[in-house]
Formats: sequence, C-alpha cells, structure tokens
Amino acid sequence: MNLLQDLTRRHFFQTTGLGFGAVALQSLMARDSRADQPLIVKEPMLAPRAKRVIYLHMAGSPSQLELFEDKPELQKLHMQDAPQSFLEGKRFAFIKGVPKVLAGQFPFHRFGESGQTMSELLPTLGKVADKLCVIRTVHTEQFNHAPAQLFIHTGTPRLGSPSLGSWATYGLGSVNENLPGFVVLLSGGKTPDAGKSLWGSGFLPSVYQGVNCRTTGDPVLYLSDPAGMGRPLRRKMLDTLAEMNAAENRRSGDPETLSRISQYELAYRMQTAVPDVMDISKEPQHIHDLYGSKAGFISPAESADDPRVLYKGDDPTFANNCLLARRLIENGVRFVQLYDWGWDHHGSSLGESIDETLPIKCQQTERAIAGLITDLDQRGMLDDTLIIWGGEFGRTPMMQNNVRSELKKGYIGRDHHPHAYTMWLAGGGIKGGLSYGKTDDFGYYPVENPVSIRDLQATILHVLGLDPHRFSYAYQGLDNRLIGPTDEGRVLTDILA
Amino acid sequence: MKLLSIMVISLLSATSVFAAEEPVSFSRDVLPILSANCFACHGPDEHERQADLRLDLEADAKKLRDGSPAVTPGSPDKSSMIERLFSTDPDTVMPPPKSKRQLTPAQIETVRKWVAQGATWERHWSFEPITKPAGSLDDLVRAPLAAKKLSLQPPASPETLVRRLSLDLIGLPPTLDQAEAFARDPSPAAYEKLVDELLARPQFGEHWGRMWLDLARYADTKGYEKDLGRTMWPWRDWVVNSLNDDMPLTQFTIEQLAGDLLPNPSEAQLIATAFHRNTLSNDEGGTDDEEFRTVAVKDRIDTTMQVWMGLTMGCAKCHTHKYDPISNDEYYKFYAVFNQTEDADRYDDAPRLAILTPSQRAEQERLQVAVKMRDEAVKQAAASDAEKTTVEEMKWKRPTDITAMAKSGANLVTLEDGSILAKGKLDNEDTYTVTLMLPAGKHTALRLEAIPTKLPDGQLGVGRKAADPNFVVSELTVEVVQGETAQPVKLANARADFAQDGWPVTAAIDGDLKTGWAVSPRQRDPHVALFDFAEPLNFTAESKLRVTLTQNYGDKLVLAQFRLTASDADPATLSPRAESPQTQQTRNELTAAQKSLNDFNAALPQLPVLRELPAGKQRVTKIHKRGNFLDLGHEVTADIPSAFGKLPEGTSPNRLSVAQWLVNNDNPLTPRVWANRVWARLFGQGIVETEEDFGALGSPPSHPQLLDWLAAEYRDGGWSLKKLLKAIVMSDTYRQASATTPALREADPRNILLSRGARFRLSAEVVRDQSLAVSGLLSLKQGGPSVMPPQPSGLWRSTYNGTKWIDAEGEDRYRRGIYTYLKRTTPYPSFMTFDAGSGEVCQVRRIRTNTPLQALVTLNDPVYLEAAAALAKRMVTDAKDTSGRAARGLRLALVRPIRDEEVTPLVRLQQETEKSFGSVPDEAAALIKTTRADPGAMLATEFAAWIVTASVILNLDEFLTRN
Repeated sequence: MNLLQDLTRRHFFQTTGLGFGAVALQSLMARDSRADQPLIVKEPMLAPRAKRVIYLHMAGSPSQLELFEDKPELQKLHMQDAPQSFLEGKRFAFIKGVPKVLAGQFPFHRFGESGQTMSELLPTLGKVADKLCVIRTVHTEQFNHAPAQLFIHTGTPRLGSPSLGSWATYGLGSVNENLPGFVVLLSGGKTPDAGKSLWGSGFLPSVYQGVNCRTTGDPVLYLSDPAGMGRPLRRKMLDTLAEMNAAENRRSGDPETLSRISQYELAYRMQTAVPDVMDISKEPQHIHDLYGSKAGFISPAESADDPRVLYKGDDPTFANNCLLARRLIENGVRFVQLYDWGWDHHGSSLGESIDETLPIKCQQTERAIAGLITDLDQRGMLDDTLIIWGGEFGRTPMMQNNVRSELKKGYIGRDHHPHAYTMWLAGGGIKGGLSYGKTDDFGYYPVENPVSIRDLQATILHVLGLDPHRFSYAYQGLDNRLIGPTDEGRVLTDILA
Repeated sequence: MKLLSIMVISLLSATSVFAAEEPVSFSRDVLPILSANCFACHGPDEHERQADLRLDLEADAKKLRDGSPAVTPGSPDKSSMIERLFSTDPDTVMPPPKSKRQLTPAQIETVRKWVAQGATWERHWSFEPITKPAGSLDDLVRAPLAAKKLSLQPPASPETLVRRLSLDLIGLPPTLDQAEAFARDPSPAAYEKLVDELLARPQFGEHWGRMWLDLARYADTKGYEKDLGRTMWPWRDWVVNSLNDDMPLTQFTIEQLAGDLLPNPSEAQLIATAFHRNTLSNDEGGTDDEEFRTVAVKDRIDTTMQVWMGLTMGCAKCHTHKYDPISNDEYYKFYAVFNQTEDADRYDDAPRLAILTPSQRAEQERLQVAVKMRDEAVKQAAASDAEKTTVEEMKWKRPTDITAMAKSGANLVTLEDGSILAKGKLDNEDTYTVTLMLPAGKHTALRLEAIPTKLPDGQLGVGRKAADPNFVVSELTVEVVQGETAQPVKLANARADFAQDGWPVTAAIDGDLKTGWAVSPRQRDPHVALFDFAEPLNFTAESKLRVTLTQNYGDKLVLAQFRLTASDADPATLSPRAESPQTQQTRNELTAAQKSLNDFNAALPQLPVLRELPAGKQRVTKIHKRGNFLDLGHEVTADIPSAFGKLPEGTSPNRLSVAQWLVNNDNPLTPRVWANRVWARLFGQGIVETEEDFGALGSPPSHPQLLDWLAAEYRDGGWSLKKLLKAIVMSDTYRQASATTPALREADPRNILLSRGARFRLSAEVVRDQSLAVSGLLSLKQGGPSVMPPQPSGLWRSTYNGTKWIDAEGEDRYRRGIYTYLKRTTPYPSFMTFDAGSGEVCQVRRIRTNTPLQALVTLNDPVYLEAAAALAKRMVTDAKDTSGRAARGLRLALVRPIRDEEVTPLVRLQQETEKSFGSVPDEAAALIKTTRADPGAMLATEFAAWIVTASVILNLDEFLTRN
C-alpha cells in the first residue's frame, strides 16, 4: 500500500487542478475537464469576509407582511377594495378582479438594541435581532415558484445554470475531501418546486452539484455497504481493488487510474465521515434545547402525499437540519443549503393559510434558526459563516380572492408578490442589527434602497471573496456568470461590516 | 503561481498543433484574440459599439479615420490598433482598463505580426466552405505527429480492439466468442466484418440514440414544479429505429423539425416531430401559458442552432450577439419560423398523436363501429317515440321570430327545429336571454327542453363542458315585453323529468341565484322542465315573451342546446315527457359504448407532436425587448440569419425550408459539428473541444484538415452515420494501443495529437449496461414505455404530484439504461452521479468527472450488487477451482486473456473472505439475500465470498474504462 499511496500523492502534486490565481486565464483552465482535483481548496479572488454559507430557503415564500413589514396603512384599508394602483398593468398568479386589502394578521414588536421590527411569531429569532441585517426591499422578476426559485439560486429563471452552491464550490473548493463540498438538506415533506436543478451544477462539471444528505435512509445515496458486508471486509475488498488497479496503472500508464484509486479511498472514508457528521445524537442536551432538535425523529409529514395537513409546531425536522448544517460546516463543508417546503400561504385549501399555517411554520423554524446563530456565535464561527434566509418572492398586500373573498378562519391567504419582500443575512462580513431598504406604506414597492436578486447574488459572491463581475465559466461561447450577462448586479457595500 | 503558469503555457501549446514558425493565420490565430477582447465594443452589436469602429469587418478596420486606419496592411506602425495595444497610457491603451480585459504580450505580438504580414482577412474558420483534404484520415493525423517526432502506436491487442469496438458501436461488451474468433483471425477482413456486424446490431441505435436524446433534451416528464409524466417514448423508439436504419442526417433532420409539413406525412414522420416537443411545460398553478409557450419556442431555436450549427443563439434574445454574426432582429426572424405551431403550454400538451399497435387499432375500429350502431339505434328509437308522442306534442306550440343572446358573447344559433345551439365563447357563467313570438291567444305553460348535442370529445351532452356536460339553471324568469315595457310573468309551478340530488327544478324559480336545476349524473340524456304560468297569458300580436336563463354556478356548467315551447292546455294535463323506456335503454347503451371508446382512447399513449397553425391563425411575431415576452417591439417576418446562406430556391421560410437549409450541402457547419461530435464519442474529446461552440469564442480545431476530411466524408457519403463511423474505426488512428509512457505523456499530455489510443471512463448508461451484460442479467428487450429499475425510496417528492417510483421486477429491472425513466426534477440518481443530464436543456457533451460518489454507486447500488451476484454465479458454474473461477470472472469482464499472476489477489480475497464469513455465516446469508443470489448447492459462506470477489471485478478501473 505504501507504494500506492506514494503514487497517488505524487500524482496529486503533479496535478495543478483548477487553479485560481490567474483569473484572466480562468476560462481557458475551466475547459480543462480533466482537472483531477476539482474540489481542491482554491484561493479566493478577493479578501473573503465569509468562508462558508448556510442558506435557509423557505420554499413557497413566507409573507413579509406578517413577519417583518409592519404597515398600519393596511389596517386602515383592511377588507376594502384594493386601489387601482395596486392592480393596473399587473399580472397575478391567482388574484382575479378587484381583491380586498388584507391587514397584517399578527402584531409586531421591536427587538434588540437595534430595535428591529419583527413579528410576534418570531420571539426567539428576535433575541438575535442584533445579528441580522434585514433587507426589506428585495425584488425579483418572477412570480411563479419554479422560475423564481431558479432565478434566485441559479441567476436565471430557466434551467441549465449552476446553483449558488455549485458556483461557490467551483470557485473555492472544499476543505474536507471526505465530505461533499455542497450539501442540501430538505424538510417540509416535498422537494422545492423547481426540483433538483436548484442544486444542480448546470454547465459546470457534475462534481459541483449539491449532494442531498438525507435524514432517513442512506444519508448520501448508496453510502451504506450491503447487508453482510462489515467494515473489515469492505477494507479488504478495496485493498484488493487498489492492488489490481495499481497493476492496471503500471500497464496503461494512465494517471486517471490513480485518481480512481484515490476516489475509492475517499468513498471509504466518506462512508464513516458522513454518518458520523450526520449523527446529531452526539450533541449534548443543551444544544438540542437551543435548536429544538430531536435526534432520530422521523416526521410523518416527510413522507405524506400532502404534508401540509400534518404540520405540527413542535416538529423538529427543520431544527435537526439546522443542527446538521452547523455540524457540516464545522467539518469543512463549503455550502449547506436548506430547503423547507410549505410556505405558500394562499389560503385556498387546508394547510396553507396565513392565519393558521404560518404560525406553525414559524414555530418549526424560528427557534432553530435563532439556535443556529447563537451556536455559531458561541463557537466563534459566525464571523466567517454567512447565513441567508428568505423565500423566492413575497406576498401581496391584498387577500387572495380566487376561491373566497370573505375572511374565513384557516383560509386567509395572500398571492405571490415579486415587487418587494424581505430577506435577511447574518454572519460573516454582514452588519448586524441593520434594517436595510424601505417600502411604501402598503409594502408594495421599495421606496428606498431597492435590492435586486442580482444585487443579492453579487453581494453573496463578494462576501465569499469571489468578484461577481469577473467570476465566470466559459460555456457555449460565453463567459457565464451567476449575476448574468449585464452589469446591473452590484455589491451592497452598505450592508457589509 | 509558478506551477500554474507552467500549466497554462503547456495548455496553450497543447491546444494547437501548429508549429510556431508558421505564418500567422487570421481566422486561427488573430480572430480568437479580437473576438474575446475587442468585439464586445467593436463588433456586431450596434448598441455597445464604441468610436463607430468595427473590427469584425475588414473594410471598417482598414478605413481611414483620424489620419490613420485601425489596420494598415504591412505597416504595424501606421495602424492605430497596434499603437493602442502597445500603449502604456491608461487613457489610450486598448482594451481600456475598465473593461477588465487584457492581452498577453504574446497575443499582442501575434496581432502585430499579422498586420506586418499583410493583415489578410478571412472569415471565422468554421463558416468557410469545406474542402476535403487529400490523403487518408491517418495521413492527417500522422503529419502533425511527425512534426513533433511522434508516430502512431501499433494496434491494440485483438481482444482489446474487439471490446473497444463493441463498447463504442453498441455500448455493450463483446461476447467471449466474438473476442476469441477475432483473436484467432485478426486480419483486416475479419476486423471489417466485425465492424459491419456491430453496425447492423439493433443495439447500435440504442447506444448512439442516447447521444441524440441528450441533445434533444429527452425526458419522461414535463418539468418544472409538478413535473407530471408525459408520453415521449414513441419518439425515443423512433430515434433508435432511425439510427438502426441509418437514416441519412438530411432525412433525420427534416422529419424531426418539419415532418408534419411534408406532403401526406406518415405516422412515423409525425412521431419524429416530437423532437421539439421535448421542451418543458409548466403546469404550476398561476402561470401564464403564453409565457411558457414563448420559453419553449426559444428553447427550440436555441437547441436547433446549437445542435446543428454549433452556435449559441441565446445572447441574441436580448441584444445583438457580441461575437457571432446574429443580430437581435435576426433572432426574432428565426423565432418567427418556429412561432407557428399549435402547442401552447397546455396542461394536456395538445396537439398529441395517439400511438396504436396493430391490435389496438383493430380494437379501436371495433369500438367505433359499436358507437355508430348504437347511435343509429337511438335515432330510430327517438323517431318512434316521436310518432307515439305526437298527441302530446300537439299540445306544444313552437314560437317564431326567436332571437337569443348570451351574456358571455357566445353565439346562440337558432336551428330549423326551433332549438337554440350555443357556440363559440365559453365562460364559466352565462346568462341566455331569448325573445320570442307566440301565437296570439291564451298560454298556460312554458317548456324548456335540454337537448343532447355532440361535444368536442365526440360524446353527447346537455351542457357545454365536455368533461362534465351538466348544466345549472340557477334561475329562469319570464317577462312579457310590449314595446318599451316589460311585465314579469309569475311562475306557479315547475316540474322536470329528472333533477340532480339537491338541485330540483323548483330551485330555478325560487329567486335564489345560489340554487338551481341540474341533471347529473344523467347529463348526456335529453331533459324537459315545465313551468306553469300563475295566470294564463293572453298574447297579442304586439307582445313578445322574454325568457332569461341565468346560469351562475360557474365552472362552465351551461346549456349546450335547448328549446322553448309554450302550451295552451290545462297545466294539469301536461307532463314533462321522459323518453320511452326503450329509448332510454338504447341511449344508455350508446353512452356505455361511447364511454368504452373514450376510455380506450384516453388510455392510449398520446405523444405530443408539432402541428402548424392554419394559414388564417398564424401568429404575428414581434421582437421581445430584452427578451421580455410582454414588452414587444416591431414586427418581424420569418427568415434565417443572413450570415449563413439562403433558404432553398422557391421555398418560403418555415420549419421545412429551415430544415432543408440546415442540411444543405453548402452549409459547412452542420457536417463539421456532427463529425466532430461523433469523433468526440470515439476519442473522448472533439477535434474542436468546445463541441457546443463553433463560433468565434470556441476552441480552435486541433486538426482542422482532419475535421474537414471527416465532415466531407459524412456529407458526401450520403450523410450516413454508419459510414462515417466505419471510416473512423477502420483507421490506424482509432486502432492504436492506448498504453502510454511518461515520455509520451510529456510530449502530448492530453493526447490532443492522438499519439496513442483513447482511454476514458465509460458513460453512465454503458457502465450500467456493461455490468448487467457480463453478469448475464441484461435484458435486450427494445422499446416501449420507460422502466423503473431499483432506486432508493423516498426520492420522488414533487409538489402536487402523487406519482410514485415503483421498483420494477423481472425483465424490466435489467433493461438498458436508455429505457430508465427520466423524471426531470428528480432524475435517476446513479446516472446523474456519472455525469448524465436531467433532460431539461440541450446537453451537448457530458463533462467526465471522477468522484467518490461514483465509487459508491458501483459498490452499493442494488443493480451492481445483483450484477455481482449473477457474475459470481457464472464464475462458479463455468469453472471448477478457485483460480479458474477468478480467471473466468476477469475474462468475462475484461475480455482479454488473463495472466496467472492477475488472479492471485482475487483468489486471496475469495479465500480469506470465505474464511471470515465462516465465523459469521449470518452475514454471508444476508449478503446473498440482498443481492438476490441463488447459491445453488454451494455453501453460503463460499458463495458470498464469490459475490465480494465479483464486485471487485465490476469495480476495476480497466472494467469501467474503454481502452
């Protein structure tokens, strides 16, 4: 085995991989599809403010008018016909005719020294309000779920482009080769609307696609050895395989064979490293208390045809994922993407209302998120971990009216609203306790500091030390970038610490 | 950094095989530099153009401006472009610092040398016509090799060659018989015979079809949020069959792009058009169908240009292309060609083509005849009813001078029998207002007849909505109109032959719009309702009756055909006539027969196809400003981009002429792009490495002459893929041994020069198919609906989509990879791990990766475990002793003869494993159970050890690689 390891190591050092210093030549290198160490750690292009990302995406899109945007004017117009200015020239997903204005359904409070305005539905998150930079003026170009999710995660509302996590691992590599560099965790019982392409590598090599680590079954697909094969046997089998592959390398002289040997070794180490990091039962009770997590819990909602009707406030699935996210980044994973489904509160059928479902979804998530921030802070990791929270668009100041136009308990809802909504960032390089941007009295449009999806993407890349305007990959005759072909996206320097 | 720059230099030198002393070529050496650094501001895009200077046009570059032209042939010192490239002043240097582009000193020197050498202009190399170079394929490879003092390697061993050929041509390993026969007689004639045999195998189309499915973005679902299933497999089978028939590319192109526009298209030609129906449909609630229709049309354009021409048209959606000659206007002219098909992102994916087997066709005819017979019977029964009921009918008077209006704007047509038929617009709700004249005198009652009429689905119904032809008369009111005044008529009583539970006819006169008269489940039968006037009406010649039928339920439950009549008889003597029991019976039989036919048709696979809109209904195409379909600019007419020749004489611009233009012999791009693509599948990389980009920014060809030789061979050989493949695999270049040495690797690190045979990891499907083949599990069943081999449970969790992945049993568990069901939002995971795509966008090439996740697949995916067990079974059955069995397994997998020492590690593994299983026999049994193996008479511990041993074989690098 010594000879083998030596060979592999030598091969490793001979391989330059996708280097990152010479950016002018980067597109040329990107075409080098044989780069044998695609996930090797690469130097950022700029001084990074954060080294890793946890992105909490609330699929379906939570209502900013219940969670962050306190709009007394809506109370005044409550259940009156929406003014024409709300409707003229607008396309809605479901609203028909003239809908009624809907007041915020829950009281707001001011939290922290910074006095952030947040809903009473977010009491625990409120305690870390001074860590959050709440952006109240995000606007998008899409008002249907799948295209809007694709837009925010891949920079285009169409399919075929790499996701943010793929870009990040392509640009920066990953620290721990025994774990995937880009991990995806799901909750809420369904995959997000646009499916796997949200964590796909698009035109980048498939090695940069997100790996969905599951909390039931194999955490990584095909990770477990078959029944009857213990670790010593697997080791012995892989030793035989390596010995024979080394012989093949002597015959063929192809360095790719050495690379294959090291991939099998990585797989072997991954088989213990992944279950190890995924095992939250190792966490002490006070940590579980912090997140509201519960080791080994399997929610019936996760396998239901319609999970929404099974949602319970104390379901710890999302909390478990938050705790897992911390364990993953602690172990060197570059990008952890959480998707929680079930935030599409139209009020048109059971289990999707602002008045009943939204509070449940908040209970499932807000304590866990606050716990994650606190935990990272206590470990000194918040300073170089970027946390992103938000949906793919916002919700209308009007009540959705295509099914019913009167208020009915459990059926109060809002339609999709792309013109202004709230997201927040926290951690590495971000100013905490900041409320950024302002919307009009109805929360309909930004009136101060509008933030486009491209601005947000540019800022995230910048925080990671990747110049959003120069960071690109040549494909189909274009230097493709996350922020798209135009230079509209700008780094939000106001929110950087 | 040092290390990095060394690599970059070696890469640069590797991408071109030309010696440095050669004269500078504009298209090869200079144009790529100008394209990448200058054209963004000095190129085709008029909006971005600076200083009114175009460097993509010779005349413009050489035009005198401010005293000196940008380029003065032969005089770099009199060329302002050269001066500014060399400038150190940030205000004058080009490209300007803010562009963040910078030329290397070597690039500047190249441009300078080109100007010094006379600045000859050429078009971009790939747009130039093809001339077939003299000499053979091998000559064109040997010459550049010789320039580097290299030569072709001797041929690979016969067994290696057989395996290589078989994997390359049919995607499956050869049988040992084939390998042994060829080893006995490795003559050129025997080799050629082998090539011909493989090309004739039906598995050929499955293997090469997979390449086309990637390009065509084939999948078994519609994509986006719900990602429901759709029937695309008949088109996939068409592709496989066409390739097996060696359909010329010309025909392959024309039928797929425009089969429906051919004269009297055959069923197969219509099936072919499903190629462009592989585009996604968005069923998400609240989406604008027109938005996603335009997205699909744009995808068709981008895919068409990409697949045939190797060009990216996408940029020109928003602005004129910065590097290639495609303007914004031209994009939408081309769009206009594809903008005339009927499909419109509908939920049912219409228009579709039912796909029938011969026996299904016979069954369909039988059912159609049955319906026709029952239909006749009903007509006869109704006629005989009419005779019998003449007396009753005598009591009813038909009105005259009927005018009927629908609030929705639907067209209410009065027919000869006095009935009123609703046509045209169909809203959720409607109110019909009928004004009519009655004979002068007394009238006591009004009768409303709901008459079954033929709906779009061919079935009868009394309401207009085919899926549920019920109606709800929320309210019926009657007024007597005299001049300007209208007097309401009070209705005393209402009776009907039938009413739906909870929807009595009296509810139609109760003044409540939320209630009404409805007739489910008998919404396909005639119905009658009588409304008695509270006081008899005395009609004069001046008065008219106005009847208002308010149908407010919503959901399109409105009357399709109805008749109003009045009576002067005593209401007590009137009855709402039902049909005779016999008629009722016959009608029930008709309904049943019609339902059988409809159920039969509904269960047929329905393939989405292209269908051109009729002349009067063609869409007007306008530019989408910045690509936004809601922000329309000026109108454009259909055409192709002007830089790429003309449409065939005498044709008008439509899909058919565009298809003909793509495969016209004068189009240099299509044959180059296709020949390069085929080459890349055989050699692991293209002659143009950027298979997806033959435009200005693509990588230049490593062997331009070889590429043209292949392109000409393909085009002039009748566009035959099989002939092209044969020409390549017969060459010495193809047959070289793939073994390499450090010296060879140093001279030609990435084998760009073809200094040795290609060696690369097999594709996702071939990795799987090969394991199944050598283990004996593979099913060669061809065609039909896609299948679901085992995949981990719980992966399919799409929103609002209840469909499930159910692991196949029996033969379908082991079909070839091309038949595995592909759900776009959750593709089959092990293929994704091996670089396959999701079928959501045109995938030009799969960039090969080598990852630990791939190792996990071939170690632990049940498919590979079951294959290992089946291979183990073959090993222990075919040979008697341990080393014989190990050797047998290796031979089956690797095909080549096995040396004794190669068996040693496997023998050791088997023996040690058997021994260790001895102390834990339960584990041996568990492994056998998981792998679905049958140890037969062999001890479980021994057999389980063979499974482990076979699994090693299926994971060998040599096995996963084609060499």
